[in-house]
Amino acid sequence: MKHKLLPLSETMHYILLALREPLHGYAVMQKIEEISNGTVILAAGTLYGAIENLNKHGWIEPVGESGRRKVYMITEEGSAILKMEQNRLLHILSLYKGSESNEEA
Amino acid sequence: MKKLKMFFDIEKEEQWLNEQLQKGYRCTNISGLGIYTFEKTDKRYVLRLDYQDYLSKQKFKDYRGIYEDFGWSYINGPWLGGIRYWQKEEDNQNEIFSDRESTSNYYKRWMGYSASLAIVFLFFSYTLYKDSGLYLAEGLWNMGGSLFWKAFLFETPFALLRSLPALMVVFFGSSFYKAYRKYSMLKE
Repeated sequence: MKHKLLPLSETMHYILLALREPLHGYAVMQKIEEISNGTVILAAGTLYGAIENLNKHGWIEPVGESGRRKVYMITEEGSAILKMEQNRLLHILSLYKGSESNEEA
Repeated sequence: MKKLKMFFDIEKEEQWLNEQLQKGYRCTNISGLGIYTFEKTDKRYVLRLDYQDYLSKQKFKDYRGIYEDFGWSYINGPWLGGIRYWQKEEDNQNEIFSDRESTSNYYKRWMGYSASLAIVFLFFSYTLYKDSGLYLAEGLWNMGGSLFWKAFLFETPFALLRSLPALMVVFFGSSFYKAYRKYSMLKE
């Protein structure tokens, strides 16, 4: 069966993308606001729950502290998930273009 | 200003608290006996309730840290149960959940909370009522006439007190049902 977090929700997707560099929680929210052109602004409880969840599944991990804040980063497993999601989305995009080939995906 | 109030429903509690804040108050303390302390302010505040099971010291630090970064301040809540009270000055981000997934997870936690309390009180009620009925007084039902009524009236407050656990089952049961309704609406 598919992992229960797959396909990734918009929130999870953005968090994994943002954490390709080490960031603490609040910086994750700011980064996401920036890379989503202001369309995704996470609230505190949503961010906390998502970080807990991704950490529990080993897709991100704490890599240090900045002051009192924990700094997180994506793990290898998390990167593999992103790669999978990228292929899935590329395939869907290819369908938008009306292309029938999906060998690359 | 202190107000005494009792809630079995997280959402009603949140609504009532925000009504007080709209009148120009901010909440400074909430105690387990239902005593809410407010103070006058000329700023506008909002209050949001979250439910979290027991958090280890470290986890609580992380949890609190993230909320505080977003401008929420923690109000000490009752020691029993895991309702967490968050207050902040009103601006353009007044919610603690920004997507469907985390909102439905919140209702799920709330369901777990009310279900476990309902079960605790159910068990408690069972042990309390299984041997005797609600009325403890011996031979009450065999008394006749005015003696019966006097004894009945005398015993009734005690019987009401003894029926509290059963009432709790009803309250937390309906709180569970309410959370379940919200949860299933979000899942659709």
